[in-house]
Amino acid sequence: MLQYVVKRVLLMIPTMIAISIIVFTIIQLPPGNYLESYIAELQAQGESVDPQKIAFLREYYGLDKPLVEQYLRWAAGMLRGDFGYSFEFNMPVTKVVGDRMFLTIIVSFVTILFTWAVAFPIGIYSATHQYSWGDYGLSFLGFLGIAIPNFMLALVIMYVANVVFGTSIGGLMSPEYIGKPWSWDKVKSVLEHSWIPVVVIGTSGTAGMIRRLRANLLDELQKAYVVTARAKGLPPRKVLRKYPLRMALNFFISDIGSLLPHIISGAEITAVVLSLPTTGPMLLNALKSQDMYLAGSFLMFLAFLIVVGVLVSDLALVALDPRIRLQGGVAR
Amino acid sequence: MSTIELPAPAARDADHFVSTDPFDPASATQLTPEQERFYLASQWKLMWWKFKLHRVAVVSGIVLLLMYGSTLVTEILAPYNLQTRNTDFIYASPQRVHLFHDQHFVGPFVYAQKKALDMDTLRREYTEDRSQPHPLRFFCYGDPYRFWGMIDMSVHVVCPAPGSTLFLLGTDRLGRDVLSRILYGARISLTIGLLGIAISFALGLVIGGLAGYYGGWVDMTVQRIIEVIRSFPELPLWMALSAVLPVTWSPILIYFGITAILAMLDWTGLARAVRSKLLALREEDYTTAARLMGAKPSRIIGRHLLPGFMSHLIASATLSIPGMILGETALSFLGIGLRPPITSWGVLLNEAQNINVVALYPWLMLPVVPVIVVILAFNFFGDGLRDAADPYR
Amino acid sequence: MNALIVRTAALLALLPLLAGPAVGAEEPPNIAAAVAAGQLPPLTARLPRVPLVFEAPRSDWTLGRYGGEVRTLMAKDRDIRMMVVYGYSRLVGYDEQLRLTPDILEKVDNVDSRIFTLHLRPGHKWSDGKPFTAEDFRYYWDDVAHNKDLSPFGLPQALLVNGHAPKFEVLNETTVRFTWQEPNPMFLPALAAPSPLYIYRPAHYLRQFHAHYAGVEKANALAVEAGSRSWAGLHQKKDEQFRFDNPDLPTLEPWKNTTPLPSTRFVLERNPYFHRVDSTGRQLPYIDRIIVGITDDKLIPAKAGAGDVDLQVRYLRFDNYTFLKQSEKRNQYHVRLWEKALGSQIALYPNLNAEDAEWRKLMRDVRFRRALSLGINRHEVNEVVYFGLGRESSNTILQRSALFRPEFRAAWTKFDVKAANALLDSIGLTRRDAAGLRLLPDGRPMELVIDTSGESTEETDVLELIRDSWRQLGIAMFSRPSQREVFRKRVFSGKSMMSVWSGLSNGIPTPDMSPGELAPTTQEQLQWPMWGQYYEQNRKGGEAPTSPDVVELVKLFEEWRNSGSADEREKIWLRMLTINANEVYTIGIVTRALQPVVVRDNLRNVPVEGIYSWDPGAYFGMYHPDTFWIDTAGRR
Repeated sequence: MLQYVVKRVLLMIPTMIAISIIVFTIIQLPPGNYLESYIAELQAQGESVDPQKIAFLREYYGLDKPLVEQYLRWAAGMLRGDFGYSFEFNMPVTKVVGDRMFLTIIVSFVTILFTWAVAFPIGIYSATHQYSWGDYGLSFLGFLGIAIPNFMLALVIMYVANVVFGTSIGGLMSPEYIGKPWSWDKVKSVLEHSWIPVVVIGTSGTAGMIRRLRANLLDELQKAYVVTARAKGLPPRKVLRKYPLRMALNFFISDIGSLLPHIISGAEITAVVLSLPTTGPMLLNALKSQDMYLAGSFLMFLAFLIVVGVLVSDLALVALDPRIRLQGGVAR
Repeated sequence: MSTIELPAPAARDADHFVSTDPFDPASATQLTPEQERFYLASQWKLMWWKFKLHRVAVVSGIVLLLMYGSTLVTEILAPYNLQTRNTDFIYASPQRVHLFHDQHFVGPFVYAQKKALDMDTLRREYTEDRSQPHPLRFFCYGDPYRFWGMIDMSVHVVCPAPGSTLFLLGTDRLGRDVLSRILYGARISLTIGLLGIAISFALGLVIGGLAGYYGGWVDMTVQRIIEVIRSFPELPLWMALSAVLPVTWSPILIYFGITAILAMLDWTGLARAVRSKLLALREEDYTTAARLMGAKPSRIIGRHLLPGFMSHLIASATLSIPGMILGETALSFLGIGLRPPITSWGVLLNEAQNINVVALYPWLMLPVVPVIVVILAFNFFGDGLRDAADPYR
Repeated sequence: MNALIVRTAALLALLPLLAGPAVGAEEPPNIAAAVAAGQLPPLTARLPRVPLVFEAPRSDWTLGRYGGEVRTLMAKDRDIRMMVVYGYSRLVGYDEQLRLTPDILEKVDNVDSRIFTLHLRPGHKWSDGKPFTAEDFRYYWDDVAHNKDLSPFGLPQALLVNGHAPKFEVLNETTVRFTWQEPNPMFLPALAAPSPLYIYRPAHYLRQFHAHYAGVEKANALAVEAGSRSWAGLHQKKDEQFRFDNPDLPTLEPWKNTTPLPSTRFVLERNPYFHRVDSTGRQLPYIDRIIVGITDDKLIPAKAGAGDVDLQVRYLRFDNYTFLKQSEKRNQYHVRLWEKALGSQIALYPNLNAEDAEWRKLMRDVRFRRALSLGINRHEVNEVVYFGLGRESSNTILQRSALFRPEFRAAWTKFDVKAANALLDSIGLTRRDAAGLRLLPDGRPMELVIDTSGESTEETDVLELIRDSWRQLGIAMFSRPSQREVFRKRVFSGKSMMSVWSGLSNGIPTPDMSPGELAPTTQEQLQWPMWGQYYEQNRKGGEAPTSPDVVELVKLFEEWRNSGSADEREKIWLRMLTINANEVYTIGIVTRALQPVVVRDNLRNVPVEGIYSWDPGAYFGMYHPDTFWIDTAGRR
């Protein structure tokens, strides 16, 4: 077991290196660089920039150095904990990301809970009542969540919430609470606003989870020991609870691996539409304006999170399910 | 074979029943006609029977067939051409089809729309002019087009009365019929899914197959690559890759570029499934037998191993198509996918993505309906396929 | 006798009012407590000895009352610089009649547009209470502009005339002088620009970051601590007066940014040392606080419609008008429509420096350009896109400018397909292919590709409409959406044969403003990027103009720069406008586009009808937001 853990952790290293190279390449691929985007944008609004200043900035930020050197500088910096400098905000990346990370984690966490809470009962019902109208109906609802494009749903819900409930448009709280210390009113305002992104992002995750849970549970229910238990006269619910459900619970842990990237990236579009102060809009803007270090470092961080998440879920699965350990492999 | 004499029944009652009928080996395996059909049926027949059990899947399959079929004859189905615009009817609301005018049955018709300009709110207001019905014409001559780029025709399934308009789903800001645009948009959106799946299927099959069959360091490398790709948040990767597409490319090339990008991030799921199945199946006896008999790896994989789980693969592939279609809409939303003048559902939805539409012209959001229908249909269809894929359960 | 006593008493009573505006005026309530507690000096000590007295600019302007805050929205942290634009506190500024008047400066002596003597206001202080004097100008000149580390690339362009720098002298504590050898008529407009030329710095604050004053080691240590590469980098970072991102940097604007980046909500507080007062002697601004919220730009119209703003213009588009109008009563605001100062809302730019030889020849042929212009159905565009509220026009200045002549607007704008076809025939493009498209002399069908920056559906729509009418001329038009940087590169390099962008950015010029947009003066001009580059880089890049009319335009521009008399400048302007109208170097479509402005019902002194212009005008700047006030008592 220990050998397995060590092996997996060591394997993470080449993965991360590969990811960093890919991230850097991708960010550099679009033509131009931050300064050119910046100038172009000012031009578009009718402002002009002093060419002297541009030349100064170009040299200062090292945008005129060869790419390999820029990459090595960045990679070395990250190992030291220096995630680079954001051109757009004129400050270190860590300061820019700061607060937003906290809110992102909260929103993601609540969304995952929501997804579990919805998918679990639906998945079980679907598996035990296969091909019934209940099965179809609930699956329909789940698929509906995935079928409606997030951005459209977010915009419509937001508008309706504003007209019907008077919830202010966009953001995670009413404007007057921004920057103020936490109070009961602020919490209420956050709850009032956050149900929209949670519902929008959550509904698109439930369908996948329902389907996977249903498939796993069906597999278990076909197994010989269930038939034996039923034949021996155990009431159906007890049968369900005592054996296959335990297997299905494993599934929650293992599914984090596929749920996590979905939640994080699915959240991005919704966050843009709803103008949430999370990391999604920040990342997208950074990519658009080629704010190299902000985008690159943050992408690396996200990738790191996901790799670690998958690793943890794999290890947890191995710990929970003795069959995997004994057979020496991870069945999926 | 001569009959065998059984010993005489014992005097007392036997504990168990023994038949005194002569023993005929051939009699044990008498099958009813249904059973015979079942055991003699081919794999695909079995799958079809199991599939039919899933009623919703069958319905979905029919729906999909109809939708894809419609892309072949879009020009005939749509009341107007893609480019047709009517600047007198900008942001017109959908026209209702009536059957009765003044209590008389007239057949399907619409009323003309009267336009009024509200100069205070700068809004165009349309009201029905109930004085005269404008009956719809069926199988009539309307906007001319080139059918499949070759034949000049102008037949349409339904057209407005001469001099009148037929905006069943309203018009947009240039006076273009929304229904026609949705029908034309289907061509791009539906085929992106298919093309993308084809590419991703091929990639997944080849890479997963190699990893599963050879194992060892090939397997290790492929697994790492898969892990790297899966660790990426999709959206930023799409953004970055789309930014790479040279903007000087023609719309068609960009379209292919987008499908390739969507596919490149999608093959990992399939590759993992292929790999794990192959890892299991290659230990089977028939694989060993084939190998001992001198078959090449490609023949073993292609002829012996793959058919064993091809059905699973097809089911998985089908379930990935909705992801592609949604991916296209997401890319359009971010402004990096397809753009006007190409018309796809994603482009239409992106144009509807603003507060004016939600508050004032909600019919412009209708392209979301076919998106939902297609995705639901694919999901149910794929579910049915997957359930049917293992008929021996 | 009684009468005499009464008269004297009356005179004595009136004396305080006569003595000067600063006597007896009230303190703004939100700092009155701080003044009483001694944290801030009293009004007379905070104002310059001769503050700027603001007189009523229009009939519907009223004296205001103190108090309140104004909420507005922007889309990016960077947009906080807009508050420097709106605040519009400049050395000299434009008033509503577009006259250049001293603002921060008390007086400007201008000899021949060559020698500028700038008189500061004695007693004028920065927002932190430290004096604003000629030292701040000297610091800029000696320690910033001429410092090798801070300005490795030399003086800003606007200070150079034909490459020559001026002579700078400090005459006394409140007077400085700039002297050039040749006239520099761009100097004052540059000081009055929305993004101005800053020739002064808060020296007392910046000295701590400058190696010369703080010592190289200390300055570098500070830099390293703050994460900058060198002291020059840190100095530069702290010094961004326009970016407005340093809450510690003193300013002369009416409101000061107190929130560091990044943030989703910026609070700008009153500057207690602001140099303007109203005619009763009360210090401006009236409004205590400005709140700038940052939100996604697509949401801003929605939030404005929901009543989340008190004043909003940026990121609102004409097609949001109906939606905004609908929610007016419910959310207690009203929407005004201001006129945009663009010469044409959307204009086409044939690239006279196109790479392709055939197309280049055509673009340089005036008959071709005129034909294209005649082939546009401007009426349809106006009806469809602008609700009929625009004005069909070529890309020229607006009617309200004194330089306007009707023939400029009407030149080649009539929709006449026959005449256009005749012009094209006269060029010799008479061969057509099977589909009816004209053929270029080398046999290729005329497929005109217009590059767009891909950002606005408005451009796409207008192009759709034009496509059909040009088809009647036998020209197939394709639009190619792209991204902004790529779009610019393509135009500059000549790969693009035609592009689309907004028209003249200054549609309301006076003869004293630069006619640079009418001649090739910069690479940024999409119709002749290489000719412009030639001028901009002093003949070291690009190509020399060859068309005789363009050469004349450059000559005229030079004459304007060197001219001494207002009459002469006006003549030059008119001549340049005439050439541009006749030659149709850019094809304008519709002008007088409208810009919605959302104003809360109780916010006063925002003009009902205004012009929305970047330079001159600084958007709101020209209308003095420091005199806007919130009327809590009255009704609309």
